[in-house]
Amino acid sequence: MLKRLYRWLDLRIGVGEIVEKELTGYLLPRNINEWYSLGSVLLVIFALQVITGMLLMIYYVPDADKAFKSVTFIMNEVPFGWLIRLCHAVGSNMMVAVLILHMLSTLLMGSYKAPRELNWVTGFTLLALVQGISLTGYLAPWSQLSFWATTVATNSASAVPLVGPYLVEFLRGGKLVGPPTLGRFFALHAAVLPVVIAAFIGAHLFLLKRTGISAPPFGREGTATPFEAQQYHYQGHPGGIPFFPNYVLQDLASISVYFAVFLAVVFFWPGMPFTPDAFVPADPFKTPAHIKPEWYFLANYQTLKIFPSELLGLSVQAAAMTFLALLPFIDRSPERHPLKRPLFLTLVIAGILLWIALSVWGHLS
Amino acid sequence: MENEGRRKFLGVCVAGATACAAVAAGYPVFRYLAPKSGQGGGAKLVIPAGELKEGDAKFFEFAGSSAVLIKTKSGELVALSAVCTHLGCIVQWVKEKQQFLCPCHGGQFSTDGTVLGGPPPRPLAKIPLTVTEGNITIG
Repeated sequence: MLKRLYRWLDLRIGVGEIVEKELTGYLLPRNINEWYSLGSVLLVIFALQVITGMLLMIYYVPDADKAFKSVTFIMNEVPFGWLIRLCHAVGSNMMVAVLILHMLSTLLMGSYKAPRELNWVTGFTLLALVQGISLTGYLAPWSQLSFWATTVATNSASAVPLVGPYLVEFLRGGKLVGPPTLGRFFALHAAVLPVVIAAFIGAHLFLLKRTGISAPPFGREGTATPFEAQQYHYQGHPGGIPFFPNYVLQDLASISVYFAVFLAVVFFWPGMPFTPDAFVPADPFKTPAHIKPEWYFLANYQTLKIFPSELLGLSVQAAAMTFLALLPFIDRSPERHPLKRPLFLTLVIAGILLWIALSVWGHLS
Repeated sequence: MENEGRRKFLGVCVAGATACAAVAAGYPVFRYLAPKSGQGGGAKLVIPAGELKEGDAKFFEFAGSSAVLIKTKSGELVALSAVCTHLGCIVQWVKEKQQFLCPCHGGQFSTDGTVLGGPPPRPLAKIPLTVTEGNITIG
């Protein structure tokens, strides 16, 4: 039956040619490893976030008077509403975590180097966009946690010289976080950012297809045709393994491992995305004690606290982010093996440890 | 041959596991989207008898749908579904003619729900009511 359908389609639109070019004939490096499947895992996570987000929109009301009630209704009254919301809330945390892992693997395997500078830049932009969509979605439940976390987060923009106070007011749609903030954050979260993220994912995949996939700098002998910056050429892997069925199986295995972890959190640690303040409706006149941002913003939060001036704290962060974003243009040596780049490896490990230390400090402070 | 059998067995296992996963994911989504079953089905509604004058009609929500209570000029109380049996529009009460008119396609119903004219195939459904101590209990 399936074979007949395939033949029917092939006769009309030449499916076989696409399959040959994009699947069975799409050859990957022989020494490719599991880390390369994180991109596929991220695509699945993004799709799941879009689907659960659409489902939540059926019952969620983006109105300051009704938002908290509608979320409570989803959690307590709608059949399986708790499951859909937990999948969305846990999924957003997982998306950031997997995105960081994806970037770390790219960093350690030196895949960001020429000719893949643009892949890195689009990927880095995606990290910023995903953090943005997480931040804007955080306000949606209109709880004490959402309200005050957004107050603190938007307030940090006030440190920008000259336009800071206006920027804060512009972000919030008023002097303080209020109903206008919910309106604009919801529009960003549900309409603007998903489209922008989808566009960047498209660009990221387009670049991947045009440059060809990078070969890991270790493992079995590579198959890549070397890159020479003379003229454009697709970096293929003659004699490599086919994407389908070989690597699709690896992708599916990684996706299954992801689902095992994701569902374990959803079912056995449902409180992970929430603190007690997440269950209290927003009260603009009552600031709760110890409002902390999400785990992936804790290092930024602590950095702001360490420096005597907020502007200095912001500038240090901006400098670090710019350095990371432009890394392929700064680190231009062709060597990609991490053990043959001791200075780089030391800096990466030091950076990760610093980030973890700042996050733990931020959590405990 | 042995490999073929093994491959087929694995294929069946994967297809079975995929089908189970699809059901496990699809059932919560279906339940999430499905309207609440028996929404207000068993509920009764009490309307004070004094609220309705002779020849008047009162529209209200009942069992998740629209209904109407009328007091005929002879003083008889009748409760009917207000949903036209033609295409589901809500009928309107024409006090002067003491009959219902569906504005969508001109269906006409009498005070007991009987079709007087137009395309409706069936009379309006009757809803049981009881009158006790000045209160009308619908349902």
